[in-house]
Amino acid sequence: MNRPARLSLMLLLALAWLPAMAKTPIFELDIRDHLFHPEEIRIPANTKVKLVVYNRDPTPEEFESYELNREKVIMGGRKANIFIGPLAPGVYPFFGEFNPRTAQGRVVVE
Amino acid sequence: MLLNSVILVLREVLEAAVLVSVLLALAHTVRLRNHWLWYALPLSVVCVFAYSYSLGALTEALDGAGQEVTNASLQGMVFLLILPILFLCTTFPHYGQRRLLAALMTLAVTFAIVRECAEIQIYVQAFAAAGDQAQAVWAGSALGAGIGLSAGVLVYAALRALAPVASRRACLVALGLIGAGMVMQATMLLEQVDWLPYQTPMWDSSRFISEQSFLGELLYAVLGYEATPGALQVALYGGSLLLALGAVAAGWKWRMSREAIA
Repeated sequence: MNRPARLSLMLLLALAWLPAMAKTPIFELDIRDHLFHPEEIRIPANTKVKLVVYNRDPTPEEFESYELNREKVIMGGRKANIFIGPLAPGVYPFFGEFNPRTAQGRVVVE
Repeated sequence: MLLNSVILVLREVLEAAVLVSVLLALAHTVRLRNHWLWYALPLSVVCVFAYSYSLGALTEALDGAGQEVTNASLQGMVFLLILPILFLCTTFPHYGQRRLLAALMTLAVTFAIVRECAEIQIYVQAFAAAGDQAQAVWAGSALGAGIGLSAGVLVYAALRALAPVASRRACLVALGLIGAGMVMQATMLLEQVDWLPYQTPMWDSSRFISEQSFLGELLYAVLGYEATPGALQVALYGGSLLLALGAVAAGWKWRMSREAIA
């Protein structure tokens, strides 16, 4: 393989790798005994992230946040993906609508 | 649990109740009998159970976007059904096309009830099964449903209290706003699963009207009120209102041309 071809191949590989590098960060969250674990998630400012919420309880729960404009029912023993951001620095509370007194948490953007 | 059940059920019932009330009042202004509602209610119950039983699998479909895409589709369908209802009710204020109008209203109410009430079915079924909470869940749900239905009855009574022409106009305006609100909600759902890009809020009106207040919930049900909407949501809301206005204008023009020929 001559030099220009080698360079082109390296460039193509680099380009193919770029989207993987820029992949959306994933943060995981558990619902257990009608509580969020962890209660607080810290995410970077101005970055879109993917929340993966696992409902470990046998009963359903609804992830809800007025501040994040998000709502999603998660059946018992199932998981759900929720994209949030890019957000400005601040604190964004969320709660479980089916158990709002116990299931409370917050996303801290910094 | 009692208060939580009241709030949760009220939120969901209110939206469906307002749509049903406006459609019932509109049907009355065009002298359409309310038999279409008796088709819509059992159909809705069947669809609510089918939807809620398949929600677990649905949520994980489309790479985790299934629930949002389904809900957004239901809301989009309600809006698409509202457009011909607006057209027909303007074109034929007292006669004609009643079967088509009844079918459109039946489907619009069914889709709206499925979207709003499946969550109630899931909640009640799961938490009423727990012995210590059953009484609070049932009582709270009944109370929430009662308040939501009462609000719907009030909306219906207020629309019926107007003079016939004013009542029809008010119904058409309310229906256009409800449809645009549905589109706005659908936009947010698609944004949640990254099918639409995230939108930075254009303003924050939560200090004046909180989305969690009763007024906020009522405005959400009627206007699709959102305290922190993004540019895309505002644009689609405005576009939907223009389409609704276009449907009424087209119906009016068609009616005028028919009356000129007659």
